[in-house]
Amino acid sequence: MKVTIDGIEIEVETGKTILEAAREAGIDIPTLCYSEAFGGQGVCRMCMVEVKTGNRKRFVASCTYPITGEIEVQTKTPELEEIRRNIITLLYRRAPNSDLMKKLYQDYSCSEVKGVDPEESCIMCRLCVKACEKVGANAISTVLRGTEKRVSTPFDEESPECIGCSACADTCPTGAIRVVEEGGRREIWHKSFEMLRCEKCGGYYSTLPVREHVTEQLELDYADDSLCPNCRRKKLAKEVAEVR
Amino acid sequence: MIMAVNSQQIADRQAMEKIINRYPPERRFILAIMQDLQKHLNYLPKEALKMTADHVNAPMTVIFSMATFYKAFSLVPKGRVVLKACDGTACHIKGSNVLIDEIYSCLGIKPGETTADGDFSLETVNCLGACALAPVLVANGKVYPKVTPAALRKIINEYRGQDNDSNTSE
Repeated sequence: MKVTIDGIEIEVETGKTILEAAREAGIDIPTLCYSEAFGGQGVCRMCMVEVKTGNRKRFVASCTYPITGEIEVQTKTPELEEIRRNIITLLYRRAPNSDLMKKLYQDYSCSEVKGVDPEESCIMCRLCVKACEKVGANAISTVLRGTEKRVSTPFDEESPECIGCSACADTCPTGAIRVVEEGGRREIWHKSFEMLRCEKCGGYYSTLPVREHVTEQLELDYADDSLCPNCRRKKLAKEVAEVR
Repeated sequence: MIMAVNSQQIADRQAMEKIINRYPPERRFILAIMQDLQKHLNYLPKEALKMTADHVNAPMTVIFSMATFYKAFSLVPKGRVVLKACDGTACHIKGSNVLIDEIYSCLGIKPGETTADGDFSLETVNCLGACALAPVLVANGKVYPKVTPAALRKIINEYRGQDNDSNTSE
């Protein structure tokens, strides 16, 4: 199927989202809540594009819009820039403590606003919630509603489901999730975990429940192999080299 | 005394189980289950949320997220009498804030709060669709039209005298 994005004609498979098609063609559409690993969420609306079908023109979120017909897409019009500037302004107002939002606020030369809570960094993109869900832990979700909405564990207590993998913090674009690693322990979401040490380099790299979870999920036995990602990569590379 | 608490807990648990088991174990019934639980228990205890999660085989996060999203649910016990003061445009203009202040001076509760004795809760609602009756107050489902501070005191006294049985009839 042929679609035109910013005047460039490209061949796309049916069902692919506009965002995926654009990125494959080397056209950048800004996003905040998108991760290739999770697919589009349609939360942040930064990826809004203009879609023209026949005489009809409308704005859609490109990360969740599957291409099912021949369409003409514009990704950088003054109207879209305005939409994005508004989003950035509002998100900066919400999360003025985030470096990413500070930068975007500058880049988009937004009108002056004052942050609501100077300590806040979360932009409610839900990537952490999605990551937790994909890991299979389901320890965090959004709670409450409207201006009070935030990400948390049920009852703001330590969650029996949390395995301390810190996938939430790793995927967070604004560094809003607090992880403290100290003295061989990792503290996250009101819960403290004993960390695992890499048997080769001695560095702390994960938690015990994570190893159990992975072992269970992959039906593997890691019992005599405690390696950090770095040492594991080296070991694998060495093995491959030997085979050759 | 401890025995009494335990038997009460067991009875509560059985009541919750009965409500939850009325629904097939599917996620789409979460809301309906919680509405029923809220109606019968006046709030959603932690245990009820856990039981719901187990029943529909959904993570606790999903249940908690929904339970905190909807205003119809409360995670702390609501009063025996739930006062809903309409604070929509018409009622607001007709002086609903005077009523809310009056409730505070009578019972010492602000919107969202419950009296220490567990008798009264106050909520504000944005419109009851009865603007011609403004300002409107709803006490346990009964609508009181054109409420004045004097009428409000009367309504509160009316409910104050009743014992716990009055709430169980639906």
